[in-house]
This record gives sequence, C-alpha cells and structure tokens, in this order.
Amino acid sequence: MASSELRGRAAIALVGSILGLTFATYSTLDYAAHLDRGIHDLHCSIVPGVAPTDNAEACRAAMYSAYSAVLKTMIWGGVPISLFALGAFSFFAAFAGYLWLQNARASAFARRFFAFTSVTPLLVSLVMLTISLTKLGSLCRTCVGIYISSALLALAGLAILATANAAPRRSGGWSWALVLLVTLGSASLLPAITYAATAPDHTPYLRGCGTLKLPPDDKHELLGLPGAQPKRKAIFFEDPLCPTCRAFHNRLTDEGLIEKLDAQVVLFPLDSECNWMLGEPLHPGACIVSRALLCAQDPKAALKWAFDEQAAIAEAGKAGPKALEALLQHRFGPGLQKCMNSAKTKTRLNKHLHFAAENNIPLSTPQMYLDQDRVCDEDTDMGLSFTMKQLAPELSQ
Amino acid sequence: MSDEIDVLGQTRADGTPDELAESSASAPPAKVAPRTRADADQPRPVQPTAPAMRRNAPAPEESKSGPLLFVVAGGLLLAAMCGLVVHSTSSASQRLVSPHAEDAPQVAIADQAEVAYCTPQFKEVLQRVLHACGLEGGNSRHGCQPSDVKSFASISDADFNALFAPLKDRGAVLLFDNAADELDDGAKKLLEERFLDRKGARYFFAVARASKVGNQAKNRALSHRRANSVKFHAASLVPDPDLDKKFGQLWLGDEFAQLSEEFCSWPNSRADEKCNAEAVNRSVFVSWVDCRL
Repeated sequence: MASSELRGRAAIALVGSILGLTFATYSTLDYAAHLDRGIHDLHCSIVPGVAPTDNAEACRAAMYSAYSAVLKTMIWGGVPISLFALGAFSFFAAFAGYLWLQNARASAFARRFFAFTSVTPLLVSLVMLTISLTKLGSLCRTCVGIYISSALLALAGLAILATANAAPRRSGGWSWALVLLVTLGSASLLPAITYAATAPDHTPYLRGCGTLKLPPDDKHELLGLPGAQPKRKAIFFEDPLCPTCRAFHNRLTDEGLIEKLDAQVVLFPLDSECNWMLGEPLHPGACIVSRALLCAQDPKAALKWAFDEQAAIAEAGKAGPKALEALLQHRFGPGLQKCMNSAKTKTRLNKHLHFAAENNIPLSTPQMYLDQDRVCDEDTDMGLSFTMKQLAPELSQ
Repeated sequence: MSDEIDVLGQTRADGTPDELAESSASAPPAKVAPRTRADADQPRPVQPTAPAMRRNAPAPEESKSGPLLFVVAGGLLLAAMCGLVVHSTSSASQRLVSPHAEDAPQVAIADQAEVAYCTPQFKEVLQRVLHACGLEGGNSRHGCQPSDVKSFASISDADFNALFAPLKDRGAVLLFDNAADELDDGAKKLLEERFLDRKGARYFFAVARASKVGNQAKNRALSHRRANSVKFHAASLVPDPDLDKKFGQLWLGDEFAQLSEEFCSWPNSRADEKCNAEAVNRSVFVSWVDCRL
C-alpha cells in the first residue's frame, strides 16, 4: 500500500483527538470555573474557540445533571467525566502523532492496538448521547463536539486497522499491549486525580444561606409531596414552568433523594398574572398551571407531568390562557376548570405567594429548605449530592 | 508465531511458513506461464508471490526515536492538561476564598406589594391605625372609634378622606339601609370580589360610617356594627386564623371624615340607586392596602 495511506489516516485520527481534546478542555474549564460557587457563562458550541455565552441552557442542564460527573458525594460537584476524555484524547493524539511519524514503519501491532482502543471514546459517547436524549431531553453542543470527535477518531482507527495486515510485525505484542493499556488507563485517570486532589473543600460554605422566618403551617395550605420513605422534612419553592426547577426535580429523582424527603412545595409562579412581585410575566401561564396543580388529585404525579411536558405547556402558556386551559383540561379532566377558577384555589395560591413574601425569600426558583435551613442555590445544582451527604446524611442510608 | 523483529524495530530476514501461507492467501495469484506437454516433466519454475517478494526485501525499520517521541509528546500533552486543571481549580479556590463583591448577583427579595399611593403620610396614618386599633403588638382590642382616629390621625377630615383617594378602584363602598347594619346581597357580592382579590396586600381596611340622621352615640354604635358585619362576612369567605392581624376596622359614626357626594362616583354596592351625601355615609368603605408597613 502507499505509505501515505497510513499517514493520511493517522492525520485524521490526530485531528479527531485534538478536536476531542479541545472540547473536553472547554467542558472541564467550564466545570472547574463553577467550583467558586458562582454562575459563569459556558462554552456551548460545536465550533471550537467560540466565546462562552449565557445562552447555554442545554449545556448547563448537562453540567448540572447527575450524569456529568462521578464521586459526587465525595467531592463538591464530583469529578467531571470530561477529565477522563482529556486524558484519553491526549493519549490518542500522541499515539496518532506517532503513527503519522512512523508511517510505513509502524508495526501491525501498533496499528491494531490503536484501532481497537480508538473505539472506546465513541462507545462512551454513545452512552452519553443516549442519556442526553432519554434523560435530559436536550443535547449539549460541546458534548456533541466530543461525540463527533470520538466518531472521527474511531473511523480513523478502523481505517488504520485496514492497513495492519500489510504492516511489519514485531515481537512482544501482548506485553506491549498491557503496557499501552495501563498507559491509556493512567492517562485517562491522571487529570481526574489531579482535579480531585486540587478541588476546593466546600464544607464550610454549605450553611449560611438563610432560614425561613416563619415555619409552614396548615393555614398556608402548601402542596404535599411526601416521598415513599421520608427521612427529612424539606420545602421547595418552585414554578412549574421554570426549566431550572424541572432540572432540579430530575436531579432529585435521579439521585434517589425525592423519595427520602417529606417535602412540601410552595408554588411560586414567575408570572405577574398572580404574582405581584414581578413587573411582567417571566413564564406566562405559570399561575394557571399552579392552580391546576392545586386542584390535582395526585399532586406528585401532576407536578411530574408538568415538568415532563414543560416545553409544550410553556408554548400553550405563551399562546394564551384558552390554549393552556384546554391542554390542562385534556390532562386533568373536565372538572378542572371549575376548581381552577374557584375563589378557594385562587386564595390558596395567593397564600403560597404570601408565605414566600412573609419569609422574604430571594425572588428566584427553585429554592430548597431542609427543615427551615435554606440550601444554597449552587448546592442544589452541581453540589447537590455532596451537600445532601453533608447536611442530611440520613438520606444516604 | 515467531516474529523475528521486535517491537522496537529489529528487522526480520524472512517470514515464517505460516505467515507466508497467510500472505499468499491474501495476495492475488502471480501470473504463471501455461505449461506445455513438452515440459510436463520439467519442474515448474516457481515465481515468487508479491508478498514473498516484499518479505525478501528488508522491512522498513521503525525509527528508534518513534516510541520515545510518543512517550514525550503524550507526557507533555498530559502534563499540560494537568497543569490546566490545577490552574483552573486553584483559580476557583481563590475566588471562593476571596469573592469579588461585584460578582455577587443582586437578587430581589419577595415581599408584600408596595404601590405608588403608599406615600409617607399615608403610611404614617396606616401605621397609627395598626398600632392604635390593635392589629400589631398583640393588643386585645381590634378596631378604632372616632375619638381614637381623631387623636392618632392628627389630620383634618378632608385630608383623611383624601388619603384613601388612590384606593378608589382597589376598594369599594358597601351601602346600607338607614339604621341597618346587615349586608345586602349586592354588598356581600362586592365585598367577596374585593376581599378575594388580595394580591400582594397585607392589610384590609373597613372604614364604617353613619349618616348624620339620629344621635351621635347611636350612629357610633351603628357604624361599629356595620364594620363588624363586614368582618364577619369576610371571615366566612376565607377561614383565616390570622384575620385579626390583617383586618383593620375603623368606625367613625357621624363624627369624623364624613364623605362628600363626590364619593358616590366610587364603586359601590348599589350602583343603580340614587346616591347622595347622606346615603354614601351609610356605608363601609373596604379595600386591601398595597403598602408595606
């Protein structure tokens, strides 16, 4: 075969590895930036080098999800999986560079080893893609960049495999395979170990985000959301049309926490139709949906439905009250309209808002209180598992 | 299989038989000249296959520096990545320990409503009502009578009424029959509408009056009963254990801040009846007050 064939294939593998390395670097840097407990713009583009943006909901949802990192109960935010990609792509970039330099002199063993291992990033990418589509319902563009890079690397690897039969053979294949596998494993682990060793300890920052002045009472008529094995009382302030609330609920569910909490929900629609604290509606229709939830026979299932179907409900909300009420009636039945528009339901929702006002809570959703202590916002997203382990260890049992 | 070249690049002289067979199988057959009957007993000339020819040529030697370059490049790349990780985590640690004040987002705080008519003067009078009429401080009495209002308000009748002007549309005037303290259906309906439309208000006020028909003491008592009728009906609409803390009652009789005929234009419970200064004072003015006090 022409010697340039391997060189061309190795060059494609090198490009795939460097692209993967670039996306993994952006992803890692974005994750690490949030270790200061602040909110930062994210790199969220399949074009490498594009400036970070605050319009990166899908990337933020992926970052805050339970699947973005490992060891989440041990380290605040966990160890992001992009770190493993960082190590692996470094390995493959160096290996591809080696094959490019060696060209026809590269042994059959080296080509086969590269080909077989180059598929591993693609396998991981496929798992993450499935999770993104089935669990998160959105695709983070930086992650897509990694998926594409992995696919490019795997394709180049397979193309290199096709050249292996004609390549020179050398002795010591199995022992070298072991050495290279250990090297690949170590390379993949090293950035993660470095991150874990240098990430700041957040334990001192978990408390001090405030307490409720007035505990909830029967008179507030909050929405009960008891778990199957409740071990700790909690209060959530939530807007059914708030995407961050949906992500928060999904995290609680995915991490198995929701069933261990004896939770009450204070409905706090960010819609000026009923919420006087807003000058204009942030989530049009949220007041109507909140009233529907108050009328639902099974509030837990109703809230889950509202979060699952949030995009469609929000669209109906923007279209106007009639479209939204029709959608809600389709889900909850014909009796809903009367209940939703009753003075009793309106007053109950008003009581929820007054409960928030009397407690002077920050004007944002979601908020979580363990008993009466507020869990800081940053601890309800990236740091949720770690924070729960620290503040409510009984939930981990 | 016994390779004769090691991974680091020692050239092998030839392939093993197995490898040759494998190579021959995978290579296209070499062209062999057709044999004739004359040369049938002659040994067939063996033409080397293409791979065999390749094997006879020395295999290209792997560069000695190749593996070294791989290790060095990979190591450098990995070291750079780890350096980047350390830099980003330590920067975050630094920001965590000494955050910039300007980085902290300014978050609004949930609170009761506060609208434009909540002038300092208006709030001062309301504040006095809250204290003097028992809405704050655990006072056992609830409500103010004319003498209380006169003393705490320290303003003229006209100024007192002017304070409530901004509440024209938020509130309503519930009208009563002469010498009566019972709410009719229209008054109940209007009270229900207004009382259930609380929004962000913290306090509800009922300012009861009587017309100048009859003596002052009777009118004072009558206005008190009218205020109570409103409160009892409101309490029946929404059971609320904290009603006393948010329901402010003032009964003025015919002694203080009588309404002029112009108040007939305010929303009232008998819109289709003739209204005059006497009728509009047989009333209770009700409204939520959207002020933080």
